[in-house]
Amino acid sequence: MEMETLLKYEWGVMMPEFIILGVATILSLIDLFMPKDRNRRPLALFALTGVVVALVSLLSLLSVDVTSILGDTFRLDSFAKAFKVLLFLGGALVLLLSLHYEPQEGLLYRGEFYYLFLTALLGAMMMASSGDLITLFVGLELLSISSYILVGLRKKYALANESALKYVISGGIATAITLFGMSYIFGFTGTTNIKEIAQYLNETVDLGHQYVLALAFFLTLIGLSFKLAAAPFHMWAPDVYQGAPTPVTAFLSVVSKTAGFVIVLRLLVSVFAQIPAEGSNSPSMLLSLQDYIAFLAAVTMILGNTIALKQRNVKRMLAYSSIAHAGYVLVAFATLSMFMFDAVWFYLLAYLLMNFGAFAILQVVSAQSQSEDIQVFAGLYKRSPMMAVAMAIFLLSLAGIPGTAGFIGKVNIFLGAFVTEPAHYVLAAIMIATTVVSYVYYFGIFVQMFFRPVEDKRKIEWPIGIIVVVAVCAFGTILFGLFPSIAYDFLGQFDHFSDFLQ
Amino acid sequence: MSGEYIAFLALALVALAGGIFMLNLTKVVHMVVALVFTFVSIAGVYVLLSAEFIAAVQVLIYSGAITIIMLFGIMLTRHQDDGQSTGSPLRKALALLATLAFGAAVYVGIRHLDFGEEAAALHEKNTEQIGVALYTNYVIPFELTSVLLLVALVGAIILAKKDDKEAGEK
Repeated sequence: MEMETLLKYEWGVMMPEFIILGVATILSLIDLFMPKDRNRRPLALFALTGVVVALVSLLSLLSVDVTSILGDTFRLDSFAKAFKVLLFLGGALVLLLSLHYEPQEGLLYRGEFYYLFLTALLGAMMMASSGDLITLFVGLELLSISSYILVGLRKKYALANESALKYVISGGIATAITLFGMSYIFGFTGTTNIKEIAQYLNETVDLGHQYVLALAFFLTLIGLSFKLAAAPFHMWAPDVYQGAPTPVTAFLSVVSKTAGFVIVLRLLVSVFAQIPAEGSNSPSMLLSLQDYIAFLAAVTMILGNTIALKQRNVKRMLAYSSIAHAGYVLVAFATLSMFMFDAVWFYLLAYLLMNFGAFAILQVVSAQSQSEDIQVFAGLYKRSPMMAVAMAIFLLSLAGIPGTAGFIGKVNIFLGAFVTEPAHYVLAAIMIATTVVSYVYYFGIFVQMFFRPVEDKRKIEWPIGIIVVVAVCAFGTILFGLFPSIAYDFLGQFDHFSDFLQ
Repeated sequence: MSGEYIAFLALALVALAGGIFMLNLTKVVHMVVALVFTFVSIAGVYVLLSAEFIAAVQVLIYSGAITIIMLFGIMLTRHQDDGQSTGSPLRKALALLATLAFGAAVYVGIRHLDFGEEAAALHEKNTEQIGVALYTNYVIPFELTSVLLLVALVGAIILAKKDDKEAGEK
């Protein structure tokens, strides 16, 4: 290939990626040459500016048609645009959280702390906008390896070491399983381009091939379920979430999970929705295997919500709650309705807002009391009423009470389970039942905040970054709860992601 | 039975044996040696598949670099040389059962698999083709991999480095 052909591609559509990559590189250089005793907090603001600029450049690309570079190794379609907006929002909020993060023993590698978030974000972005197995996989690994390091950054804290090791081992196994599944897909088709794979497999009628392809489907789904922390592959999540620095926990539970759903949708839907299940002209393989996804969703909801009941440590509780939320999103995936992408997108948006808000408040409250026990919330309403009310909004949204974004998200998924033929009554029933169970532990924090006497009379200092995060999240949660049409107008321009496979 | 088949059987046997020995041996150094057997025989399988470049890379990276790093790790850290096996018999039996079931499921799938005609042009300038593909169509994942390596490097340094205070005390 000549230089000219290479330059003919519209590299402009990769602008957000270039910005993030550039900012991460510059940050690493600044960090390297900065005197050791200098305060490194301004670096977070620089990173934040980078993320915001990248978000703006992405928004300016919204009207661009589907563009693909170098045989789909990078493609900008409506799926990529919509989900990258979520990733940028998450990235910006996580940087605000980490700006004020101060563990007991001090954070020795603050510069790395900031730019590793950016590289992880870059990996997630590449997963969102690629139509090629190799790029998808490299993006997945870039995200994973950056997060392994982020989890282990508190070197002097025994729990962090344990959780980093657990994360790297279970993540490595999951990667191996995913790759094994992908290798079968590649082996059958001889190409890594998802579009070509789909076309090629569309004509597969050999039953033997279909058996092995179904095997490949399970291997990939299981491998990627680790990333989503879906039960029964969720064991790592509570320990890792507890040991990791709070901003990293928020990152894992929101951005990393969003990226996991992105790759699941990108890979499984586009590849396996095209394969006929038995012989030609039969329903697609994805439809015939949807019961297994539904099973995964049901187990995830039940396990996540019931184990969360007996947690005293708030971080662990939020970990189990995030497992349960992964289950709700999996319901949307399992029903495979026409509105699946919209429902998943909206739920992940609502989840992003309410979860980041809750983690922001938890970070300050637990740092003050140097404990993550549920008692640290005792009497929060008396100590700082505004924050208690904000936390109440997030908890109501997590529980799915009307008037909040979490409610709208759940209703969407719930309705999606009925519009398909046949309707998924069992799954919808499990979703309702587990949601009711989740009220118990969310309202446990409620009781502590509003009705328990204050144990710790000291005034809580709320850093400016945390206030911004809490305000943005609370505002968004209410806004999308009362006027969900704003988000749907935004999604409307994508026309149900019809250019997914173009 | 062709010569290629016999060679494959021998290589596969050594690879499997290496893996099993690695799991069952108790001394760390022995485990590494068992692993080397697996790595080298997988390189042999690559040669059988006419993927000489991958075979060379396998020998260089896995049998060379990774093994040496493991040995360095063993030399430079304080560790208990002997590991003991853990886990109850029931757990082991379940693991065995699950492994057998997975093996059977895969075997049923691949036993009568028909891939159509075999690709003819396997030996033609492998290395050059890989190079051309890497620097043209796959330049984006290639560059992304370099970011990945950089991240891994930074991570390895900050996680393994002795902090100044710690070093000062010694």
